[in-house]
Amino acid sequence: MLKEIEDIKAKYPDTRAALLPALYIAQKEFGWLSLDAMKAVANALNLPESDVRGTASFYSMFRLKPAGRNLIQLCTNISCMILGAERLRDLLKDRYGLLPGGTTEDGRFSLVIMECIGACGTAPAMLVNTDLYENLTEHNIAEILGKYK
Amino acid sequence: MITLTINGKEIRLDKPVTVLKAAQQAGIKIPTLCNHELLKPFGGCRLCVVEVERMPKLMTSCTLMAADGMVVRTESDTIADVRRAILEFLLINHPLDCPVCDKAGECELQDAVMQYGPPTGRFIEEKRKVRESHDDPILARNMERCIVCTRCVRMCEDVQGASAISMIERGGRTVMEPFSSRSFNCEYCGNCITACPVGSILSRLYMHSYRPWQMDKEVETICGYCGVGCSFVAQVRDESIKRVIPRIGFGMNNGLLCSKGRFGYGFIEDSGRLKTPLIRKGDALVESTWDDALDLVAEKLTEIKDSYGGRAIGGIASARCTNEDNYVFQKFMRVACGTNNIDSISRTGYAAAQKYFEGLLGQGINANIIGGIKRSDMVLVLGGDPASVNPVLGLSIRAAAKAGAEVAVIGHAPGLERYKTINVLPPLFKEADILEALLLEVFRARGNRGESHAIDRAVSEFDKEYSGKTDMHGLEELKDKLLKSDSISIVFGMDLVQRTDGHRALFATAGLTHLLEARLYLLSERPNEQGVIDAGCVPDMLPGGRPLGIPDFRRRYEDAWKRPIPDTEGMTLMEMIEGAKKGDMKALYIMGDNPVFNLPDRTFIKESLASLDFLVVQDIFLTETAELADVVLPALGWPEKSGTYTNLERRIQLLRKTVETTSGMDDWSIISRLSCRMGYDMLYTDAENVMDEISRVSPLYRNLSYKEISDKECLWPYNGEPLRGEAKDIKVIKEKSRDYDADLYLALDKPLFHSGSISQRSPGLMDISPEPRLKIGTRLAEKMCLKDGDNVIISADRGSISIRVSIDPCVNGKVVLMSNNFKEKGALGIMGYNLDPVTKAPGIEGCAVTLRRG
Ligand code: SF4
Ligand code: SF4
Ligand code: SF4
Ligand code: FES
Ligand code: FES
Repeated sequence: MLKEIEDIKAKYPDTRAALLPALYIAQKEFGWLSLDAMKAVANALNLPESDVRGTASFYSMFRLKPAGRNLIQLCTNISCMILGAERLRDLLKDRYGLLPGGTTEDGRFSLVIMECIGACGTAPAMLVNTDLYENLTEHNIAEILGKYK
Repeated sequence: MITLTINGKEIRLDKPVTVLKAAQQAGIKIPTLCNHELLKPFGGCRLCVVEVERMPKLMTSCTLMAADGMVVRTESDTIADVRRAILEFLLINHPLDCPVCDKAGECELQDAVMQYGPPTGRFIEEKRKVRESHDDPILARNMERCIVCTRCVRMCEDVQGASAISMIERGGRTVMEPFSSRSFNCEYCGNCITACPVGSILSRLYMHSYRPWQMDKEVETICGYCGVGCSFVAQVRDESIKRVIPRIGFGMNNGLLCSKGRFGYGFIEDSGRLKTPLIRKGDALVESTWDDALDLVAEKLTEIKDSYGGRAIGGIASARCTNEDNYVFQKFMRVACGTNNIDSISRTGYAAAQKYFEGLLGQGINANIIGGIKRSDMVLVLGGDPASVNPVLGLSIRAAAKAGAEVAVIGHAPGLERYKTINVLPPLFKEADILEALLLEVFRARGNRGESHAIDRAVSEFDKEYSGKTDMHGLEELKDKLLKSDSISIVFGMDLVQRTDGHRALFATAGLTHLLEARLYLLSERPNEQGVIDAGCVPDMLPGGRPLGIPDFRRRYEDAWKRPIPDTEGMTLMEMIEGAKKGDMKALYIMGDNPVFNLPDRTFIKESLASLDFLVVQDIFLTETAELADVVLPALGWPEKSGTYTNLERRIQLLRKTVETTSGMDDWSIISRLSCRMGYDMLYTDAENVMDEISRVSPLYRNLSYKEISDKECLWPYNGEPLRGEAKDIKVIKEKSRDYDADLYLALDKPLFHSGSISQRSPGLMDISPEPRLKIGTRLAEKMCLKDGDNVIISADRGSISIRVSIDPCVNGKVVLMSNNFKEKGALGIMGYNLDPVTKAPGIEGCAVTLRRG
């Protein structure tokens, strides 16, 4: 991980600018950003630890609590809502026991509800980790999730 | 010249400022929340909006620069509407718990709402709930009240440079948190408390005690912890200090304090305070009366003086006592006891360095204003961590670094770790080699400043004698940067004096200061180290830095004091103590210090003091030294005294009595009573009366009155006559550093939260840092499989101590660091020493130790 952060660092004029990508790297490595993970990033970039935490906590794409192996980010904003995102949310709850902000018992999935992710034209939409899925239905969602272990 | 109109009033500005500042200068008040005197404009709260002609929208006056011809209005119906709306929004989540909030009465939000706010809110939604955090030992954090102005975060980051806290989350959930989200684990300067406009960050020492308007009195005084001498206001109720607050524009610290100044006042109420004089009866010290105790001391000292002469008596003065105390003390020693054996614990650092530099470079060489550091383009820090020894001075170095100055550190300075720009790593205890090499490099590149100075001659001579070249990582870069800089500050710490060859580093630093025309600052651990010297508590100089050896000066004081002064130089600190062991020294009078604890080699010091015929100790606690005394006299702590301190810039400042006590007596007063009993009358009425005499007799302070000291800045050279002329002949010889090949050494740590042994009696500082720790480097910790908090036993040839470790990545692999602040766990006690032959300071370097788990 440190090596990757070093590489990123070289691409920016100052280390603060490398903070977001570095946090991504750390998150990929540890699954979520614990205090220790943020400390490691702070050390690698020679930034104050508190700055790193302030930044990480600002963005919803960083997980500051332990999370499942795969993160589902489901949009329930207006277009997705009209096209049935709320039914998908209920489905996740009924079938996987997955509540917004929660994690499945087997640690396989965590769920976060998102505001518009910019896929209104193909709503409803979600992200699983960094993969985008559009035109979701109650049928294809199970198939998609089946790909993630 | 900029001319603008605010509320119909024409305002002329000499230099460009914001509209807010311009209005303030003209006495027009604009409400603000996110703006703070010490911070950069932020423009976050919008409360300071004003109307500006020809600008379509309301403008935030805190970010808008005043321009020529601007017409501004600060109050109108539109503005009032906007301000009301802003406040209504802020109150959506604000708990409005003023009745139980400590800030009520001095809260900026409360004031703003009183003036502009809506009488009722229209939001019916639930307010956010956040538990008040008491996870930290000293700072309480109430985030329901937080209005997200970010003043605390900016203070901590931009001014304090600690970057310990940040705004967490976003939108309505935003709160301020330290990294751990629980304890702050920070520098505990408390400057974020000052910054917070509402009751979100509170000192737990003060919390829920009294309302600001319930105080009996406020006293403007100075901090007695270190040689910076920060000003603050002490708020007192029932003769007890409830809190201290710094004020913007007051004192050279201008609104800032460090942990010691802000939270360290509790020691004066410690239950261990001495209340009555004590006299030794066999093995025990028993309570006595002032009359009996003083009679006994007078009788004994007279007896010893009559049978052995004044040379058998010695006095140890104190850099925690005032100029007045120290002046009276040395006068008493010189004329009533007939001896020049006067020195202080400052000999182990500041006094040794200051006298050396002054001898080479002339009086006043270290009289430089701390503010000057900020304006340097290069700061060279040697032998100490300014950020913990003199924290508020340390802030200037951080500020300089933020403004782009180069910062080089030779020594252990974790507080500057994030700020240094040049890395120089001298081999252990061999800083003098590097400094000498640097001096020669600079000399060879730049040459003399003119043969007129003795120092120039000495440097040339030194150059001839030493033609070698030293190779060290960073030396080349450091030299280049030094030569390129126009304005250099050298900050000199006392670690380099506590060396057997300490004079080498002193000479090299003096040479660099001279050749580079640098400003020299001496770190000073105690409040009045300069004052002790200036008051004459050194064996070879009379008050005002006048050499004792020059008959004219002596005569002048003899005329004033109407008694002869012995003409031979006295003994220095360690010489007196060694003299006691040898039997030459029969009586010691120690005022306000604790040599048993504060000097190296505890067993030796104890034995020496025990060999004396008579030992008098004047202090506020029954210290390790007082326990050995024949007579113990209770004195006053600095918040109970009036007097003056001279700080490390040589600024003289007034210490004002803050609380009354019945426990002890002023040091000068005890001494003068004693003097009268020994047949030499000293009839001072108060401390001011002593200062009147000092300014009459000491050529350094001509006509200096308390009024003058308090009315304006009292800076060197005061009204006095500094002594011109420096050393005529400086002998320099190139010496070789010893080799250090033991596996592990012990060195002295100067922690941020403690100072001497008084901080140990201050509950606030003990809450922050309750126990001593041995700092060890990462590699050693790994090798010994030690975790933070594990217990070890450290052994040196003078003793062992059992202590818990803390792992510090800044510590060099071959040393461990330990402080000298905690009872029975002081590093100095187990360290031996060798005197530096030139400065007579004890060298404590190269103390080999072993470590084992235990
Ligand atoms: S006390 Fe000082 S160091 Fe600690 S958070 Fe506040 S401003 Fe920062
Ligand atoms: S804690 Fe105080 S200073 Fe800090 S953001 Fe909140 S209101 Fe402002
Ligand atoms: S810097 Fe020194 S004088 Fe200032 S508050 Fe801290 S200890 Fe006191
Ligand atoms: S509303 Fe769901 S993607 Fe835009
Ligand atoms: S004081 Fe100007 S925007 Fe806050």
